[in-house]
Amino acid sequence: MFSTELLVQTLIAGVMIGVLYALMALGITFIYSIVKMINWAMGEFYMIGSFAQYLLVVFLLGRDLWWIAVPLSALSVFLIGAALEPILIKPMFRQALERKDEYATVVTIALLLLLRNLATGIAGPNQFTPGSNLGVVMLGPLPVTGARFAAFLCTLAALALFYVLLKRTWWGLALRAAAQSRVGAQTSGVDILRLDQIAFGVGVGLAGLAGALLAPEFQVYPTNGVVTTVKGFEIIVIGGLGSIPGALIAGVMLGVVESLGAAFIASPYQNVYGFLLVLAVLLIKPTGLFGERVRQA
Amino acid sequence: MKPFTRALGSIAVIALAGLTGSAQAADDTIKIGLEIPLSPPGDPAAGQLIRRGADLAVEYVNTVMKGVNGGKKIELVVQDSQGKTDVGVAAYRKLATEDKVIGVTGFFHSSVNIAVNEVAKEIGVPTLATQTSAADITAKRYEPAFRTHAIDPIRVETFLEFTKKMGYKRVSLVAETTDYGIGISEEMEKQNKETKAGLEIQKITFDHAATDLTAQLLQVKAFKPDLVINIGVGAPVDLIIDQATTVGLLPTTPMIVSYDAPERPQFWKLHEKNGVGIYFIAYYSPKQKLSDIGEWMAKAYKEKYGETAIYSSLNGFGDVMILAQAADMAKSTDPKAIIKALEAGTFKTWADAPVTFPDAPGVYYHNWSPPILVLHYTKPNEDWQTAEIVMEHVGGKH
Repeated sequence: MFSTELLVQTLIAGVMIGVLYALMALGITFIYSIVKMINWAMGEFYMIGSFAQYLLVVFLLGRDLWWIAVPLSALSVFLIGAALEPILIKPMFRQALERKDEYATVVTIALLLLLRNLATGIAGPNQFTPGSNLGVVMLGPLPVTGARFAAFLCTLAALALFYVLLKRTWWGLALRAAAQSRVGAQTSGVDILRLDQIAFGVGVGLAGLAGALLAPEFQVYPTNGVVTTVKGFEIIVIGGLGSIPGALIAGVMLGVVESLGAAFIASPYQNVYGFLLVLAVLLIKPTGLFGERVRQA
Repeated sequence: MKPFTRALGSIAVIALAGLTGSAQAADDTIKIGLEIPLSPPGDPAAGQLIRRGADLAVEYVNTVMKGVNGGKKIELVVQDSQGKTDVGVAAYRKLATEDKVIGVTGFFHSSVNIAVNEVAKEIGVPTLATQTSAADITAKRYEPAFRTHAIDPIRVETFLEFTKKMGYKRVSLVAETTDYGIGISEEMEKQNKETKAGLEIQKITFDHAATDLTAQLLQVKAFKPDLVINIGVGAPVDLIIDQATTVGLLPTTPMIVSYDAPERPQFWKLHEKNGVGIYFIAYYSPKQKLSDIGEWMAKAYKEKYGETAIYSSLNGFGDVMILAQAADMAKSTDPKAIIKALEAGTFKTWADAPVTFPDAPGVYYHNWSPPILVLHYTKPNEDWQTAEIVMEHVGGKH
C-alpha cells in the first residue's frame, strides 16, 4: 500500500542503511586500491569488531561508554589485520608468485573459514548484543533506534576523517601514490611492504568499525558478517573498485533501492533488487559508476 | 633376508588382525545419524540444543539400558546441514551410504527435511524429523519419513484458536521465505477460509538472510493489525522483535512467535526491554508430566549444563531413543526392518505419552505430535517455566 509517509520513511531507512554498508565497502575497496587484492574475509573482521564491542561494553565499560568501546574495537581489528598481513599477504609480493590473484583468493577464503569456525567454536550457537541505552530518535516520520542513528553519524564522521587523512597527511599521500603505482611509490622511497601492512590493517579496521557500530542493531554471532560482506561487494561493483566517493554513493543507492523495492514491489525479493542494480550498472558502465579502467603491466 | 621376510609377514598378520578387530568392534556398534544445523544460515542454536539431547540419549542407552539388540552400544554420527537443502542432502547420503546408520534424525529446517526425504525415498534409510513442521514432510507418504513434532496444520489451528480467544480480527503474518514460513502462511490462509474464521490477513515475507526488515515492518504498521505472527527462525525472530519495537509496533501490538525460541536462555539477554508481552508457541511445560526416561534426561541435562532442558533437547533425546528402541524391536539394523518396527511399535519418549507412527491420512501419516501450548511473558526476565499458559491445543483430527 502506497502512502507519502511510507515513502519518506522508506527513503530515510534506505539512506541510513546504505551509509552503514558503505563503511564495509570502503574497507574492501581501500585494501584493493593499495594491496591490489580482494579480501574475502572482510565479513569475519566485521564479526570480530562486533564481538570486541560486545565484550568491551558488557564486561568492561558499560553501555554508557559505548563510544569509547567503538574506536577500541576498531583498533583491535586493525592490530589483528596488521599482524596477519605479514604472514598471509606479504608472501604474495616477497616471493615471485605467478598467480597472485588466485593466491589472495585462496588465502583469504581459508582465513574466512578459519575465523568463522573459530568463532563458532568459542562463542557457540547463541546471539549476543551489547545493548544500548540510547532512546528512539524520530527522523521525520521514521522512528530509528538511537544506536542506529549514532552508528549513522559515526560512519559519516569516520568517512570524513578517512578522507581528510588520505588527502592531508603524508601517510595519505603515500597510500594514494601506492594506489596509483606501486612501483612508482617504491621508487620514490616508500616502504611499500610496510604500507601494505598498514593498508590491510586500516581496511579490516574499517570493517571492524562497522561491526562495532552495528553490534547493537544486528546482533553479535559468528556469521553476522556474511550479509554485510555481500552488500559491501555489491557496493564496490556499483561504485567502482578503488573509488572512495563511489563507495558512499553506491551504498546509498543500494540501500534506497532495496528499501523501496521491499516496501512497494515485493518484500521477499529485497536482496534481488540490489543485484538487479548491480547488473544494470555493469551493463551501462562495467567499471562501476566512479571506477576507471586500469592497465596492469 | 629370511628374518626380514618373517618380520614383514608378522607385521602384516598383526595389522590384518587389527583391522579385523576394528571391523568387529564397528559391528558391535549401532550408528544413528544426527543431521542438524550447526552453522548459518541454519539455526546453530537449535542444532546444538538437539545435539545435547541426542548425546544424553546415547549415554542413557549405553549406560542405563546397557545397549540394545543384544548389548550393542549406539553411536551418534553427526552431520551439519547448515540449514541448506544441498548440504543436507549430501549429509544424508553420507550418513546412509558411508556411515551405514540405521536412521537419521535431528532435522530442524523443513526445507532440508523435505529435500532429504526425496532421497530417503530412494535409499530407504528412515528419517525421523525432530523439529520440522512443514506438511510435505509426511504428507507425501514416503515410507521412510517419520516425525515427532507439531505439524503446520496443528500449529495454525493453535493460531486460529488463539485469535478467536483474544478477539483478534486483523492479523499480520511476517514470514521468512522458507518451506516453514511459506507453509504456515499458506496454511493460515487456507484454514481461515475453510473454518470461516473471518480474519483479515496481511502476508509479509522476507528473505531468511535479511538483516534489515524496517521496510517490511513499516508496511505491517500501516496495516494496523491486532496481532503480528512472527514466523522467522533463528536470528530473524529476534530481528523482528527488535525492529518492530523500533518502528513502534511493539509493545502496543501483540506478537506471537511461531515456535519456542523465547525459551532459550539468550532471549532475555537480547530482549531485556522488549521481551515482556511476547506470546510464543511451546511444546513442553514443566507442569506437564515426563516419562521415566524423560525424568532421567531432565536431571542429567540440569547436572551437565546447569539449565533446564527445553523442547529441542527433549525431543532430540526422544528421537534417538525411538530409533534405538526400533533397532531393539527389529533385532536388526536393516533399514527396512527399522521402518517396519517404527510403523508397528509403540515407543517411549520424554513425554508421558506413548509414541506411535500411524498409517493415517494426509499429513498425519507417520506423525506423532506433542500438544501445543501458547505461553506469555508478563514480566521482565521471566523464566519460561513459570510463564503464563494462555492455552493448550491438542490437534490431529484423523
